[in-house]
Amino acid sequence: MSPYLSTLGTLLRVLAVYNLRMTLVAIGIALPVACVFAAARLSRNWLIHAPATAYVNLLRSSPLVMIMFWVYTVGPMVTGQPNSASLSAQFALAAFEVAYFTEIIRAGLQSVALGQRNAGLATGLTPGQVMRLIILPQALRRMTPSLLTQGLIAFQDSTVASVISVPEVMQTTTVINAREQDPITLYVTLAVMFFVICYGLSKTLNRMERNARYRMGQGAH
Amino acid sequence: MSGGLDWSILVKPPFGGQLADAILLTIEIALYAWTAAMLIGLMVGIGREAPSTIARFVTTAHVEIFRNIPVLVQLFFVYYVLPRLLPLQVRRELFRLGWEEISAVITLALYSSAKIAEHVRAGVNTVGRHIQRSAMATGLTWLQTQRYVVVPLLLRTIAPNLTSEFVTIFKGSSLAMMVGVTETAYVTQQLGTETFHWVEANAAGTAVYLLCAWAIAGLMSLVERRTRIPGLLRREGS
Repeated sequence: MSPYLSTLGTLLRVLAVYNLRMTLVAIGIALPVACVFAAARLSRNWLIHAPATAYVNLLRSSPLVMIMFWVYTVGPMVTGQPNSASLSAQFALAAFEVAYFTEIIRAGLQSVALGQRNAGLATGLTPGQVMRLIILPQALRRMTPSLLTQGLIAFQDSTVASVISVPEVMQTTTVINAREQDPITLYVTLAVMFFVICYGLSKTLNRMERNARYRMGQGAH
Repeated sequence: MSGGLDWSILVKPPFGGQLADAILLTIEIALYAWTAAMLIGLMVGIGREAPSTIARFVTTAHVEIFRNIPVLVQLFFVYYVLPRLLPLQVRRELFRLGWEEISAVITLALYSSAKIAEHVRAGVNTVGRHIQRSAMATGLTWLQTQRYVVVPLLLRTIAPNLTSEFVTIFKGSSLAMMVGVTETAYVTQQLGTETFHWVEANAAGTAVYLLCAWAIAGLMSLVERRTRIPGLLRREGS
């Protein structure tokens, strides 16, 4: 096997084992938490919505780099455990995405007209039933494209884990480059890899969204 | 953790001076990048709706390329690969001028320009075909129509989106530490490594980015209010 193919194989494997896995785990953690945070943000009780709002504003205004550093350096002081770069990056990415998912879910819930909620309540449904049968089905459909796009952004953001030396694909490329001294080949490969994956996925998402809208007919809006 | 928190470490020499320089560098990189991103984004966004097929292809490629590659990968690409394509003389000159900072500005500008271009394109469509056709009917060329009619209108309609892109650039400038730019994130980590006062170091770094983000948001909402198009952009609750 040529050296280039073996390097490519290494990069693809690292991309799957670190970046993809980190992204999927982060999404898996962040989505349920974000649902709770979104509900909290819509609460009328100040004690409930203020902390959620503060969390979202704080995390969305700080760079992911700083959040990674917080978790990596201050985390061990809090937990008393030795720090692990991979776990820190995983936690930071999930915490970061919670803020973005929360805003998407909140916007989705709010996009369903208030009149529908009132109409549902007037027909005798309980607030829980109104949420489950009327608001959620519509809101979910509307927020899905944004959530998936945010998932793609999270995948791109997973490269930031290299600031705390997680051996993900960015870091691995740098290490291989230190040995091979061939930045042109290596970084072009890395860029093309991400482009093919992200462009392909975003095009697929667009097509799925168009089809879904077509199937729902003109009543989508 | 022996000893408690010592916030004075942030202002005492040598870190006080380093931190101040770092903050200025962060602001400088972000401002340069934002200015360039705005100019490129405007041109690319308008180009995506241009009558010429070639212009549409080139601008679409620009958006797709810079949007679908992680900004950190772009940074390393610009920093390591671009100089290799240039003659040695030019390369030396670039590194003498501070290629670390320049490549950070170039990367952030290109990355954000793709996102700004998408907002601009949406803005062009909001301005509407009839206004453009009316303008061209008065004898303006397509380019003049964009320059005198479309851009002034769309800048005001997309101002909120531009605000969030500006904040994103500020946050993104922290990635420049990866190529050795001594900006805020770099210097605060240096401080943490040398003193082990991690809480103070991280808090200082985060505070800089938060304050910048909030300052931009405040400033831009002021600009938005002053430049609102009367009667056209009444948003809910205002």
